[in-house]
Amino acid sequence: MHIPDGVLPLPITGAGYAATAATTWYSIRRIRQRENYRQDIPKASLLTAAFFVASWIHIPMPPTSVHLVLNGLLGALLGYYAFPAILIGLFFQAVMFGHGGLTTLGVNAMIMGLPAIIAHYIFRLRQWRNNGASRKRTGVFGFLAGVTAMGVSVAMFVGILLTNLPAELNVVSERAAILALATAHVPVIFIEGTIAALVTTFLQRVRPKILDGV
Amino acid sequence: MRLGIDEYTSLDSPFHRWDPRYKLIGLITLVFAFSFVRDLRMLLAMVGVTVVIYAVSRLPARFVARRLRYPSLFLLALLLILPFLSGENTLASWGPLALRQEGLIAASLIATRFICIIITGMVFLSTTPLLTNVKAMRALGLPDIMADMAFLAFRYLQEIGRDLRNMQTSMRLRGFKERRFSSRGLRTLAWLSGSLLVYSYERSESIYKAMILRGYGHAPHPQDEFHASSKDTFTLVAIIAIAAVFIAGDILLGHDTASLLQ
Repeated sequence: MHIPDGVLPLPITGAGYAATAATTWYSIRRIRQRENYRQDIPKASLLTAAFFVASWIHIPMPPTSVHLVLNGLLGALLGYYAFPAILIGLFFQAVMFGHGGLTTLGVNAMIMGLPAIIAHYIFRLRQWRNNGASRKRTGVFGFLAGVTAMGVSVAMFVGILLTNLPAELNVVSERAAILALATAHVPVIFIEGTIAALVTTFLQRVRPKILDGV
Repeated sequence: MRLGIDEYTSLDSPFHRWDPRYKLIGLITLVFAFSFVRDLRMLLAMVGVTVVIYAVSRLPARFVARRLRYPSLFLLALLLILPFLSGENTLASWGPLALRQEGLIAASLIATRFICIIITGMVFLSTTPLLTNVKAMRALGLPDIMADMAFLAFRYLQEIGRDLRNMQTSMRLRGFKERRFSSRGLRTLAWLSGSLLVYSYERSESIYKAMILRGYGHAPHPQDEFHASSKDTFTLVAIIAIAAVFIAGDILLGHDTASLLQ
């Protein structure tokens, strides 16, 4: 779900870089406000690497398979570290495999990163009026975080892509393209939500400290 | 998954010798100028510049082909759909399918820009070790938090990748069928992801202690790691001038794909 180079016009890719710079600045500001934030950097970095590697796991979806994006889970566990983590991950992907793009790095970071921050706040709600969240509650909010993050990412991806193609689509074609792209992503959205729910309940059982955030 | 990191950084070419900070500035300027181009004549010039950049870099053709494989899938889908969905002037039709001129032109524009940007990016970034590129970004103002995260994530990427491969092998030896979809299989794959996160989290605690013992957070980062020569500066000025010619040329020629229709 990366927009490659060459598709978007300069004003959009430029705006993507500006928005990413502003969001990165704000995320880093929030991180620096924490007491002893340096202690969290190795945790955030290794979890970034683990998420990057986990995205190589292919989930069978006959007749094909999909790979995980995990931006909802990343936001739930890393909080404001999620945005820089996604930016680093996208840069590594662009350099190592040619995935995504260089001019579209800012736009892709916003598509993946902004929903991750939303997921962070959704996942925090599991402790609302309930300090020690039950496993069921953790699973429900994990699912909501995963589904919402992926859903928002898909909506942003489809919206940005279709409104900025260097070709005019007529209304019927545009509706058909939106419907086709959105329908194709619905199973992926639910798989992301299910994986997020299963991983968060697994972590609560095995290492609950990770769920407290970095 | 093959990472192919820093495979060709030891070759010798003007791109390999160029100061990484200047190379990054030149890359961003040039690829953004490429993404601005819409005129056919400027597109052809862009292909010419890309061919020269690639030839000077001495990177092998198989490396380029390998890098183009994955991103080309999305592009291929777009190229197959766009000529049939967009535009009014029909070039040919087969039953309900109509090949349209405007869609075909838009698809060609996207494909040319995509290939030129990806090859240029590959030459600029693959001729310097990845960690040196991150250091150059830090020298250009990348926040320390992000630079440290990038160094550490990169350092442990291969080890965590090895953990994943070992765990997948163990799962297969115990009879796990990766290609069959089932709720149980999904749960197993989720636990696999969870185990990776737990291992990484536990490893990070000992890494932090080791970093503290080595003075992490107290020792300043070296500032004079890069030294640019006048040749480096001249190359950067030349690249910026080429980028400016592309933008100015495209504006003067109308900044429109309409020229393709004439």
